[in-house]
Amino acid sequence: QEKTISGIITDSSGLPLPGATILIKGTSSGSSSDFDGKYSISAKQGGILIFSFVGYTTQETPINSSNTINITMKEDTESLEEVVITALGVSREKKSLGYSTQKVKGDELTAVKSGNFVNALSGKASGIKITKTTNMGGSTNVLIRGNTSLTGNNQALFVIDGVPISNRNTNTRAQQQAQGGNYDYGNAASDINPDNIESVNVLKGAAASALYGSRAANGVIMITTKKGKKSKGYGVTINSGVTFGSIDKSTFTKYQNEYGAGYGPYYGDCECLYLNNHIDINGDGIPDTSVPFTEDGSYGARFNPNLLVYQWDSLDPDNPNFGKPTPWVSAKNGPISFFETPITITNSVSLDKAGENGSFRINYTNFDQKGLMPNSSIKKHNLAMSGSHDFNKKLHATGYANYIKTNGLGRNSTGYNDNIVSGFKQWWQTNVDIQQQKDIYFATRRNITWNPSSSNDLTPIYWDNPYWTRYENYQTDERNRFIGNTSLTYDLKDWLTITGRVATDTYNELQEERRQVGSVPTAFGIGSGIDGSINRNTVDSGYMRRDITATESNYDLFFNINKDLSDSFNLKSIFGVNINRNEFSRLTSATQGGISVPGLYALKNSKDPLALPVETVWKNGTDGLYGSISLGYKNTYYIDATMRKDHVSTLPKNNSTFYYPGISGSFIFSKLITIDWLSFGKLSANYAEVGNGASGANQLQDFFDINTPIGSASTSVSNTKNNPDLKPERTNSYEFGLELDFLKNRFGADITYYQSKSIDQIVGVRVSEATGYLYKIVNAGEIENKGLELSLSGTPIKADNFNWNVNVNWTRNRNKVLSLPEGLQTLQLGSFQGGITINAQVGQPYGVIYGSDYTYLNPENPIASERLINPTSGEYIKTSTSNNIIGDSNPDWQMGISNNFNYKNLSFSFLIDIQKGGSIWSLDQYYGLATGLPEETAFTNDLGNPVRNTLADGGGFINQGVNPDGSVNTTRIRADRFGAFGYRRGLPDKAFSYDAGYVKLREVALTYNLPESILKNSFITGATFSIIGSNLWIIDKSLPHADPESGLGAGNIQGYSVGSLPSTRDFGFNVKLQF
Amino acid sequence: CSSNLENLNKNTKDPDAVSGESLFTGAQKALVDQIVHINVNENNTKLWSQFLQETTYTDESNYDQVTRTIPENLWSAIYKDVLKDLDEASKVITKTTYTSPEDQNTNNKLMIIEIMKVYAYSHLVETFGNIPYSEALNIDILSPAYDDGLTIYKDLIDRLSTAVNSLDINNGSFTLEDNIYTGDVDAWRKFGNSLKLRMGMLLADVDNTFAQITVESAIADGIIMSSNDNTHIHYLTSAPNTHPVHNEVILSGRKDFIAGATLIDIMNTLKDPRRPLWFKTVNENYVGGEIGSPSSYSSHSSLSSQVTAADAPGVIMSYSEIQFLLAEGAARGYTTGDTAENHYKNGIISSILEWGGNNTDATDYLAQSTVDYNTLITTSTATTPWKEVIGTQKWISLFNRGPEAWTSIRIMDYPVLATPTEAVSGFPNRYTYPIVEQTINAANYNAASKAIGGDLAETKLFWDKF
Repeated sequence: QEKTISGIITDSSGLPLPGATILIKGTSSGSSSDFDGKYSISAKQGGILIFSFVGYTTQETPINSSNTINITMKEDTESLEEVVITALGVSREKKSLGYSTQKVKGDELTAVKSGNFVNALSGKASGIKITKTTNMGGSTNVLIRGNTSLTGNNQALFVIDGVPISNRNTNTRAQQQAQGGNYDYGNAASDINPDNIESVNVLKGAAASALYGSRAANGVIMITTKKGKKSKGYGVTINSGVTFGSIDKSTFTKYQNEYGAGYGPYYGDCECLYLNNHIDINGDGIPDTSVPFTEDGSYGARFNPNLLVYQWDSLDPDNPNFGKPTPWVSAKNGPISFFETPITITNSVSLDKAGENGSFRINYTNFDQKGLMPNSSIKKHNLAMSGSHDFNKKLHATGYANYIKTNGLGRNSTGYNDNIVSGFKQWWQTNVDIQQQKDIYFATRRNITWNPSSSNDLTPIYWDNPYWTRYENYQTDERNRFIGNTSLTYDLKDWLTITGRVATDTYNELQEERRQVGSVPTAFGIGSGIDGSINRNTVDSGYMRRDITATESNYDLFFNINKDLSDSFNLKSIFGVNINRNEFSRLTSATQGGISVPGLYALKNSKDPLALPVETVWKNGTDGLYGSISLGYKNTYYIDATMRKDHVSTLPKNNSTFYYPGISGSFIFSKLITIDWLSFGKLSANYAEVGNGASGANQLQDFFDINTPIGSASTSVSNTKNNPDLKPERTNSYEFGLELDFLKNRFGADITYYQSKSIDQIVGVRVSEATGYLYKIVNAGEIENKGLELSLSGTPIKADNFNWNVNVNWTRNRNKVLSLPEGLQTLQLGSFQGGITINAQVGQPYGVIYGSDYTYLNPENPIASERLINPTSGEYIKTSTSNNIIGDSNPDWQMGISNNFNYKNLSFSFLIDIQKGGSIWSLDQYYGLATGLPEETAFTNDLGNPVRNTLADGGGFINQGVNPDGSVNTTRIRADRFGAFGYRRGLPDKAFSYDAGYVKLREVALTYNLPESILKNSFITGATFSIIGSNLWIIDKSLPHADPESGLGAGNIQGYSVGSLPSTRDFGFNVKLQF
Repeated sequence: CSSNLENLNKNTKDPDAVSGESLFTGAQKALVDQIVHINVNENNTKLWSQFLQETTYTDESNYDQVTRTIPENLWSAIYKDVLKDLDEASKVITKTTYTSPEDQNTNNKLMIIEIMKVYAYSHLVETFGNIPYSEALNIDILSPAYDDGLTIYKDLIDRLSTAVNSLDINNGSFTLEDNIYTGDVDAWRKFGNSLKLRMGMLLADVDNTFAQITVESAIADGIIMSSNDNTHIHYLTSAPNTHPVHNEVILSGRKDFIAGATLIDIMNTLKDPRRPLWFKTVNENYVGGEIGSPSSYSSHSSLSSQVTAADAPGVIMSYSEIQFLLAEGAARGYTTGDTAENHYKNGIISSILEWGGNNTDATDYLAQSTVDYNTLITTSTATTPWKEVIGTQKWISLFNRGPEAWTSIRIMDYPVLATPTEAVSGFPNRYTYPIVEQTINAANYNAASKAIGGDLAETKLFWDKF
């Protein structure tokens, strides 16, 4: 007999599901759930109810004697109906796409809070290469499918809810070229709060991104923000997390502990040649034994606890050891104890709710990071609001507003000089106790350094007290940013809508750099080079500020069509217009010749008249018209065609309007064939072109530089020769994809092959200065990228209470420079200390490293051949040229393997991230080995003696190789002085080029969801506890004493390592409460 | 959509046109900066001449040119910051319509620019050997070929003669834009002839006839005859227009440079009165650092405050130098107007006086048998005694004149310098070509390298026969 059955339908988190369908099996009668997930239906006992909802697994439940049936719907995670967000924020069924996209859920990005959500993408999608740095708040390089532009921007475009935002990197050219004393100010995408991210979708190829036009040539990171949801509680979510870091010692120099300060047997004339015995330190008229204070190397005297020596701490009267010699021993507290425990605290609260007519969400997040270096922090306040409202059935409004305030303090300086870490890794005395440096600085607040000019001149000669550097010569920065958009959509028909949208992303930023009176003079302030950052004068003090403002505005109007033309045919179409405008201004000003009043960091405190400020102001814009048509036939065949016309402001009028097409198709062959184990199969193919204008400031007209007047006006021809005849850049690409799912979607594979060619590039080519210029802007050159992307997913174990999921992402990109402008064979991307250059060379991958190489007995086959050695010196014979390829910064392949285990309410996951191959060149090793710091500079030689003994005493070593006549080398090299290892004696640059590959345990997370049964009687609707670890273990790497991921920063120049901070193993705890 | 979208693309902060005179001012300073610099990244010739030594980081004292890409920095400065700007300056001045009587000065301005260009090019040839010349300064040729050094050099001398002869001393030229002679056309005429004399002398070993004709015509046309006509830029007392040595030593506060033992030992032996003018004492002694070895700053002589003054003159040609060149010419049998001995004496006396010494110092100094020309000529064991005698004193007098002293050592082969303790090459007879030329102009680089006998520091240039 019929009876009324009622109940509540909820999702797995307990939230009600409105609009779920309830059907009596075998009949057409049914019902649906209301706004609170409640339903009721009349049915006969013994019948079966079918519960279904889009995106959830359909369930069948028999009707027994109970009148109440509550159902928890399970999300169909491998649903093929997966909806992805494509260009312009339009959602499409993934199966209908003829190009590759990959989705990463917000949860996967928030597990580990690094301050830059971009870092969390590493290993989680194929085709994307994330290169981060260890700099606090540093920039991250995001490459999708390789470098396509020779010298332009290769970074992926970031898009929030359909609207592009800025990911600008304001680092100076000097920073990117590893000149010292500069800071990595990060990139603007780090402002995005992962707590606001619902999901990220990576659009990899040109076909996927063509509607964005010119800027999307490098792929797009599409971010969909969280929206208000219908919920049964108050809709409040509180999230609190704390993360602690601990140094991974394999990424910092492991010092030898047998020898102290000095450069060789140069100082004394007793048996202790390595110590000075000429100076009377204690004033008794008799010369004492003292450390060679000025020397910033550790190629000195062998430690001997019975030997008393006057060290730096005996010289200043404020020092407890004043006038006293101390035992000659290795420091108890080495530089590693200089670093502090980084702590990151993130607190966020969000309120969200959805009702009949719309939804609303507010989030406030406070991010507070204390860095690895003393006196360093980054603080962020992030306030976001999103909402939607249906005015009536036809008119819908949405809005998003996000304010972000970021404050940085004491970022670490990067590059060669004036960088504490390059000091620790290259120029240091192993006898210096860093804690004593700390104590004396805090006791006196004076620059009492371990490296004084002499025993009676205590001003620093080369290196400041590191605590002085951190507490006196610090930088600060502040960025205030607003990102927002509003849109109105009107449903003209049930198959046709029109949408208008206005969006802006605007920020101002102030970067301030300081140098206190009494510091070691170094390059500071404004220089004469390209952007004022190069050729800076050397001064002991100063103040510099950069004021940056940037605004991007986008105005969109588009029609969206979605119509079933017949039972079999579906038409989707978008056409519209986009108006994009950008404004950028930067003003850099600095004191000159130092500051007059110590500690007053103001421009008016300049000793000499202010240096000429450097001003950069530009505006540009693009007007775009676009359209796309997608036809689907029987949910099996799909074809998409797109076309965009751009009119850009940065090209000459006759070349400023251009068109580019794209076409893609897919075929779901599993619809036509029935194979038991194959649940889904799709083939796809596409071809697309993307065009691009020039970027930034005017590159069409020539300009002059103005110099500080000397008696009268002084000017120069600019370093760059601009070009009035520029044409748009083009990238053509095609790809083929195969997507397969097996065994009812338990296992899946997604394979994509792509090839792209970028031509007519707008390139500032580095030219021979004999032309009178440094760069010439030209249109030419061709780069090809070919690659294979593989994503595998599977659920090896699926039981009631236990699940094991595995995801593997594998990427291989092969990049080749096919031609260069005007017949050039090599384009120099960067030139570095050590005689190293990084280049694009015809026939080679983008970013090969040049330097001097060994010479070989058989030059035809250098890998197998013996290296040549000069029989007189015993040193390798290196090439006199520096244009030998000694490395390639591109990896062979990359892979991320994530495993996820779920047991009841507990889940455990870990991610292993692998890079195979690629090269990195180490300036730390080039110098550090020479100055005798790392442990490999003090070993027992083949004779069983300390290598640093004199030759007479059985020291020294023999290089492996042959003399030019082919005989085995037997000449022993003395190693009792500075430079026996490292750059000074015959070793070519090649010797300091290392494999940049690694295997890392990137993330580990253990999460516990408090079960419903416990929460039932409280106001709390959800509680999640997590323990997280990131970068816990570098399982394998080749680069000594540094993290192979520790590049200089984002940009096209990768593969050079100098003075990078050690990386940390981070442990975190997180609590999320919902009520 | 906007039909005038291209109007956005404006640079409102940089000029698209400037005066030729201001370009000349910038180029002139860039050139003198490069010549007088001691920054280890820019100019190593005062180290190579062993006037100075580095204290701790002795790489450049030991002839390392590669680590800091020094040749590239020099090359870039001369081509890009000097020659290009001079070239542009003359183009702009030629096109500019001046009002009378200013327009009468145009030709003199152009000729002064031409003299500066010749000087800049001669510096490149003397430093590298073959260089891009006929295809240089043309942005449409991205891979310029290198021309033969001797051919360029003779062409430069030709251009110099033409320019000097076109100067009209009855008209003016630049005014305050010229920080060397404030536009004094006659002074520029003397500098031009003096430069011609110097360039001519450099060819004596390779083409003696040509050298003699060049030198004698330069003398006939009027060279610098007094220290008052010395060619030097007037640096200012405030940054960034201070003397580069001041920037490196005083503003930087660094303690990188001390006196070299080679110079100090010779001056100590000769009881040279210029020691206190150039150096500070250590315990009342002048102590030079051992060449190529690390030395402590405090126990060696460092540069005097006169040398490191902010507004010290940036000298590129002096009467003293001319007299030594004439001595050399006389010794070679050229007609110079006086004997080698007298030129030699004039050179020494004017050097001492130019640095602020007095006549008594000079007379006492010259009276010593270790300085006296005739005594030394008879006692010298050198194959060509005058090379040792003139070479040694000329080198001393060229103190703080890095490139000129280095060139003097290369042509005269005296004094005999020390071999740095950790030399990475033999004595550098040239700068190696910039690494960037190897990478981006490889074919022409390889051809030039082959033509000069290998791109090595030790390769002797075409004029350096002995």
